Amino acid sequence: MKRFLSLILSLALILSLCAAAQADDLPTITIMFHGSNVSDDAAVLEKVNEYIADKVGAKLEVIWGTWGDFDEKATNALATGDSEVDMLFTCSWSADEFNTYAKNGFFEPLDEYMDQFGADLKAALPEALIQAATVEGPDGEKHIYAVNGFKDTATQNTWDINVTLLGELGYTVEDVQKLGFYGWGEIFAKAKEVKGDSFYPFLIEPAVAERMVTNSIIITGDSGSVNLLSYYLDPADVTKADAKYGDVILNKFATDEFAAFTKQMREYYLAGYIDPALAVAETSNDTRSNAQKTGSYLIGTQSYAYGYEYSAEVLSRGIEVQFLPCTDPYVDTTVSQGAMVAVSSASQHPEESFKFLALLNSDPALMTLLNYGVEGVHYTLDDDGLVVFTDARASYSPWTNGMGNVTLLPDTQAEGKGFREAFKAYYASGKAVPILGYIFNNEPVSNEMAALTNVAAQYSLALCSGAVDPETELPKFLKALDDAGMAAYLAEANAQLDAYLAEANAQLDAFLGR
Amino acid sequence: MTARRETASAKSPESGIALKKSGIASKKSGRAGRKTTFWLDTMVLPGAIWLLLIRYLPMFGIVLAFKNYKAQRPNTFWNNILKSQWAGLDNFQFLKSPDTAVMVRNTLGYNLLWIVLGLVISVTFAIMMSELSSRFFAKAYQTLMFFPYFLSWVVASYFVLAFLDPTSGMIPAMQKAAGGTVSNFYHETTWWPLILTLCNLWKNVGYSSVLYLAAITGIDTSLYEAAAVDGATKWQQVLHVTLPNIRTMIVILLIMNVGKIFNADFGLFYNVPQNSGSLYPVTQVVDTYVYRAYANTHNIGMSSAAGFLQSAVGLVCIVAANAAVRKLDPDSSLF
Amino acid sequence: MSTLAGKKKIRPSTASLNRFGPGAQAGFHLALGLFALLCIIPFVFVVIISFTSEDSIRQIGYSFQPLGWSLQAYRYTFQLGDQLWRSYLNSFLITAVGTALSVLMCFLYAYPLFRKDYGHRSFFNFLSFFTMIFGGGLVPTFVICKSVLGLSDNYAALIVPMLFSPFHVIVMRTFFQTSVPMELIEASRIDGSGEYGTLFRIVFPIVTPGIATIALLVALGYWNEWFLSLLYINKNMDIIPLQYLLMRMQRNADFLAKNSAMLGADAARAAAQLPSQTLKMALVVFIVVPIACAYPFFQRYVVAGLTVGSVKG
Repeated sequence: MKRFLSLILSLALILSLCAAAQADDLPTITIMFHGSNVSDDAAVLEKVNEYIADKVGAKLEVIWGTWGDFDEKATNALATGDSEVDMLFTCSWSADEFNTYAKNGFFEPLDEYMDQFGADLKAALPEALIQAATVEGPDGEKHIYAVNGFKDTATQNTWDINVTLLGELGYTVEDVQKLGFYGWGEIFAKAKEVKGDSFYPFLIEPAVAERMVTNSIIITGDSGSVNLLSYYLDPADVTKADAKYGDVILNKFATDEFAAFTKQMREYYLAGYIDPALAVAETSNDTRSNAQKTGSYLIGTQSYAYGYEYSAEVLSRGIEVQFLPCTDPYVDTTVSQGAMVAVSSASQHPEESFKFLALLNSDPALMTLLNYGVEGVHYTLDDDGLVVFTDARASYSPWTNGMGNVTLLPDTQAEGKGFREAFKAYYASGKAVPILGYIFNNEPVSNEMAALTNVAAQYSLALCSGAVDPETELPKFLKALDDAGMAAYLAEANAQLDAYLAEANAQLDAFLGR
Repeated sequence: MTARRETASAKSPESGIALKKSGIASKKSGRAGRKTTFWLDTMVLPGAIWLLLIRYLPMFGIVLAFKNYKAQRPNTFWNNILKSQWAGLDNFQFLKSPDTAVMVRNTLGYNLLWIVLGLVISVTFAIMMSELSSRFFAKAYQTLMFFPYFLSWVVASYFVLAFLDPTSGMIPAMQKAAGGTVSNFYHETTWWPLILTLCNLWKNVGYSSVLYLAAITGIDTSLYEAAAVDGATKWQQVLHVTLPNIRTMIVILLIMNVGKIFNADFGLFYNVPQNSGSLYPVTQVVDTYVYRAYANTHNIGMSSAAGFLQSAVGLVCIVAANAAVRKLDPDSSLF
Repeated sequence: MSTLAGKKKIRPSTASLNRFGPGAQAGFHLALGLFALLCIIPFVFVVIISFTSEDSIRQIGYSFQPLGWSLQAYRYTFQLGDQLWRSYLNSFLITAVGTALSVLMCFLYAYPLFRKDYGHRSFFNFLSFFTMIFGGGLVPTFVICKSVLGLSDNYAALIVPMLFSPFHVIVMRTFFQTSVPMELIEASRIDGSGEYGTLFRIVFPIVTPGIATIALLVALGYWNEWFLSLLYINKNMDIIPLQYLLMRMQRNADFLAKNSAMLGADAARAAAQLPSQTLKMALVVFIVVPIACAYPFFQRYVVAGLTVGSVKG
């Protein structure tokens, strides 16, 4: 009888607890992240909800999008006006194209919330990041449409050099730099001689190599899968346009620089310096990452991030690696919109959502909790106060850079003490390119873009990797681009650029009181 | 089983007449007819409800093909559709591309070829399997033929790659060993129509021959018996008994394939050639084109328009094919 | 005719003689055997890759003769532990329930469409057929399923959207047409049987091969399905099937590879955590084996029909 009574009592207790939980009636806000590898978030979310209950006045739920799923899930949620997704990751390089969705009204403008609840957030983020998230909305006016993540905010393309092998061949990194892309033939020939016929010394991502050699940058808003447009930088001073062309957007494939690049690649390809698998879209990436992992290359391409040379991926290659930069780190529109979180305009709780984002991006405790997990469960602190992850981290690893302000996080043991400070200093040194903030609105020429993308996908990779002969293929390619409406596409991009520069200059003049 | 044997004799070429007679007979009494209709109505009901909810309700979405879809205030799907501006035929502009001719040619060409080849080979295989004297082998072949159906195109593409890879593939390796010129398969269009055709047959023949085999199984055996008594050889039996009896199945599958003539199997054309640009002249089809365009524009209107166009072409083809069949063989027509 | 009969003595009572001769049989075996071999080799290839050492893949790619063997992929697979078995169980559950319901619905829908005395025949025929050609598209269907029908984060979301296939209805109807004589139904009615009685007691046994075939196709569809999980499962990852587990790995790898220039060091970092190719192949093996084992079960009905025929013929 006693046991029965206690059962009843405990049941009643549970029920009343449930009732209590329902009674405090906080709204639930849901955030969708990118690139997560999370299978158990119960412990973390419990703590998070405890922490934010008063500060935000809402309960958090998370949809842990993975790399492969996120685009589909996010574009679906946006297109369907799904009110169950309040906040989502967005950026300018993926399918959930930030500028397009902002322009088409899918994101909530955050200006008012920023004024009301954003003091801490403003203090925590560099002004430039807030500027980068301020773009044109459906009303034609500029608004803040996302909370921009403070992460690696500059871009630096580097040649990834296998110094171990280079030494064996009797060369130094200085030699590589001195000879330059057009003069590496002799080093490659020697590598081939030493390492055998099945060794491919030049391990590149062809489209990236093209940008590195020609010093061109991506135009935000251009076709994402195959870039069609280029803007040439002065390699000596990335804040200036290349003197030869000036402030103008070019058909990437029609310049002398592109022709020279493809000619040289063809030479390298025919000499057997480039793995033919790199020239085919779907085999290219697997091949490259496999060769990279085993260190079987001489020179490769790498978009560099601070501290990368000390990371586990590089150290595990079993060779000495050095990254030879092509230019100083620079900030362009794409990298300045690299990882953000926006509030959906379908959200029923935009205010709570913003409050949450502001807190997440300014409060180290919350950021650490949501990113690294619970102390004592997912990580511990060593004697120096550095983070050491436990095995539980395997079931809770969100994508750090996709979450927000990573400078709030404590250093990990792997990174070493002082990492964040050095990280911030490095990225603070990033220089703005002349067209930072320019966003190409491709809507007026979206049909041309659709056709051009298909044409470029047909030729670009094969040409950039040297798999086909530019003598015959490049003229065909240019002709096909013309037929698909390149002239109209280019004219629209340049007209918008001119308008953008005129406005920027007018603002500058006003600022200087001229 | 008794029932089956009794009726078996009645079911012969003249069964068509018998069917019609019984059809009339069943309508003899209005009340019984109404009762029959009621009970049969209850049978279709679950399916009909499903169709209405999952297939018909979303059809308002077709309107997206003619709208410039944008978020409105308040941002709900219904409101966005309702208030977004009409776009006329703007979403169909993607057809103006110079690639259009290539993708239409490829889509229709491969489909036509494969419908014919697939039909001939599947029916042949099904007949062969039904005529094998060894039950064990009939079973074994049938099981094995289904394996391709389990493997996705991504996995199949690895297999093709193992043969064609320029550095480690088996065919280039053999060419190298023989001292000949090594083919760079992923940049040479020559072999791809053949490779794609083989892949398509490999994947689909097992599936459709099982359908035909099941149809052959359903043929009344007394028909063969009668033919044999009449002195028909096995070949003649196939020609005069098997084929006429699976005619309906053949025609139905044919009509349905014709309805999909403007659609292509995306994975086959995208993954198997490893999305190699140099091969687009022989691998670009409507689905891959729209995918590549959509991946950059995220224009929901354009993808809706493409889908609408594929459906419209399919409808026209299917109605035409059905009308033709109805003239030749009214019993086999789809509707 | 008489000359033919003279050449080849036919005794209708003994089935074994009404067959193709040994020459033709050999030809059949050759053609079918070759094709069957072609069908199984890629799967053998997958099995080989799953046992290939990672080093070998890095050096010579996928090959029938790898440089080295390894059980690592399977060890990893078992390390997935709970997740693997749970999604395995989900796959079975979804396939079993989905197939049973789907076949029943198809059977019930197709039967009246075959009955020429059914008044609403052409209407329901069209209702089903039309949806094969026209659809609302992915996004509107998603909205209806999710917000109107509540198909989100539950098993129903993985079953209901595939419950019914107009294609299968047409195939099923064709089976009825080719193997069920109307007289039988008429006779059964005269015996006083109700419509459902006739359907399940008289018609059902005759069309077993057809039902088995449809069941096979439906089961395969459910077993191979992963896109519904991507669309409808956001938070409740406990209910995802095995196929989705595999596809997610595949898609993760694809995404990272394609965006490596944008993600920079992050891509390399994340790629380092990705499962290897051999693991993916091991999962393919895990996916294919059960359904391949289930195949003979369906086949029994199809081939049983065959042998009944041959004994009698």
